[in-house]
Amino acid sequence: MKRRVAGIETEFGLTVVTSDGRRAHEVEQAARDLFRPVVAWGRSSNVFLTNGARLYLDVGSHPEYATAECDDIWDLVAQDRAGEREFEQLVAQANAAYQEKGVDARIHLLKNNSDSEGNSFGSHENFMIERRGEFTRLPQMLVPFLITRQIVTGAGGVIHDEDGARFGFSLRSDHMWETVSSATTRARPIINTRDEPHGDPTKFRRLHVIVGDSTMSELSTWMRIEMTNAVLRLIEAGRPVGTIALKDPIAAIRVVARDLTGTAPLELADGGTITALQIQRRFLEAVTAAFDDLDERMLDLWDRALRAVETQDFSLVSRELDWAIKHDLFHAVAERRGLALDDPQIQRLEFAYHDIDRTKGVFWALQRRGLAPQILSDERIEQARTQAPTTTRAHLRGRVLHAARDAGTDVAVDWTSVRLNAPGQRPISMLDPFQTESAEIDALIDDIRSRSEAADPASPGGNP
Amino acid sequence: MSQSQIHGPGRNEDDADDLGPDTTGGGQVQQSISTSDDLLDEIDLVLEENAESFVKSFVQKGGQ
Repeated sequence: MKRRVAGIETEFGLTVVTSDGRRAHEVEQAARDLFRPVVAWGRSSNVFLTNGARLYLDVGSHPEYATAECDDIWDLVAQDRAGEREFEQLVAQANAAYQEKGVDARIHLLKNNSDSEGNSFGSHENFMIERRGEFTRLPQMLVPFLITRQIVTGAGGVIHDEDGARFGFSLRSDHMWETVSSATTRARPIINTRDEPHGDPTKFRRLHVIVGDSTMSELSTWMRIEMTNAVLRLIEAGRPVGTIALKDPIAAIRVVARDLTGTAPLELADGGTITALQIQRRFLEAVTAAFDDLDERMLDLWDRALRAVETQDFSLVSRELDWAIKHDLFHAVAERRGLALDDPQIQRLEFAYHDIDRTKGVFWALQRRGLAPQILSDERIEQARTQAPTTTRAHLRGRVLHAARDAGTDVAVDWTSVRLNAPGQRPISMLDPFQTESAEIDALIDDIRSRSEAADPASPGGNP
Repeated sequence: MSQSQIHGPGRNEDDADDLGPDTTGGGQVQQSISTSDDLLDEIDLVLEENAESFVKSFVQKGGQ
């Protein structure tokens, strides 16, 4: 596809501790405390924000943020960061409220993928694909890429096995049980096939990739989407990479996660073996040969990440990609403090790296020193908190939400529709993710404004 | 409109502003993690403050 809409949904880890590190109260209570300001203005813990994104409380008391539909990947990364900032502010408000009431409790929100007992939660990537075409074959063609892309885009971390602890590319890999299925929380697949297009079902499908790690580095997040897009485009263009049928994909993903050399043999279905590096090189070469309009930075970083693994010189990407940043960080701290990788202090460091609080989180301490990347300006991230992307239908949703907020009017919003919450109002549907103009939406916004002026002629526009 | 659309044309020179500065942090740029003493001091404080009980207290039901 020439243009594609993509989005990221992130489930955050939530913990609430006393000043001596014990659990202060139930997580469910902490989640309610965190969402108090949201419920106060939205009368629900499931709301759309003026930037077109959705903020809600998911199963297991996981605060979740789903970006608006983006067709520009830097817009998407900015939207993702904007979500962290929304939650950062909610955390600060909740903690201030605890302090005011003299409650010994502090909430931490972690953008990671598992708690201390190994319960997993996700970061889901969504890609618009065409309905016609090869949905039955596409996922299987994508799987070898998704199994091995962690050597570029993984968040890194310490994997605990019976024979000890080691640093690996991705912790999420151990929570994958199938390649392609409709399951979500029990036997999690790499690609989830739930058919919720959030668009015209006769034209579009939504590819739901749930194998990814939650990434702190803007470059890691960007690469997850940018690389996957390039490979999707390759498959759609009928430019196959040659058959790579892994004999046991789930065994393979775990081998790849544990093998920092990228050279462990992965068995092929028809005999023989292949390595993670070979698979990634094959995809990189194929997209480079097929398209001359790919982002240079993406191609350079993809190549450098593979070279870092090939040469074992991780410094090639150790200020850019999460796994390499954390590899340096964990080893420096372990050495300084004389710790083994399975020490609880290293686990504490893992959580601290993924803490979204910019005053507490270790990622931000690295970023301030130039040891982790900062690509997007602070202004662009702040802007993304209140401005929807202008090139997708999120623009229309954002306009309605701004108007409704200004007027103090209730609207019912979903990904594909908006409706004024008043008697006799019918929903306006937006089934084309690229729609950015709509006479119906213009009329709705006029209606919202006129109702507000009629109700309170002294203060048109109301209080934002 | 930006050039860095998904599947759109690659980034060109004019578009550089749009992406902000290349790989730079806000503050003073350090050589490496292992030589950044003030960073490691900051991390020591976090790790010396009830690391083990903090870790144990983070238990949540799984998500998707």
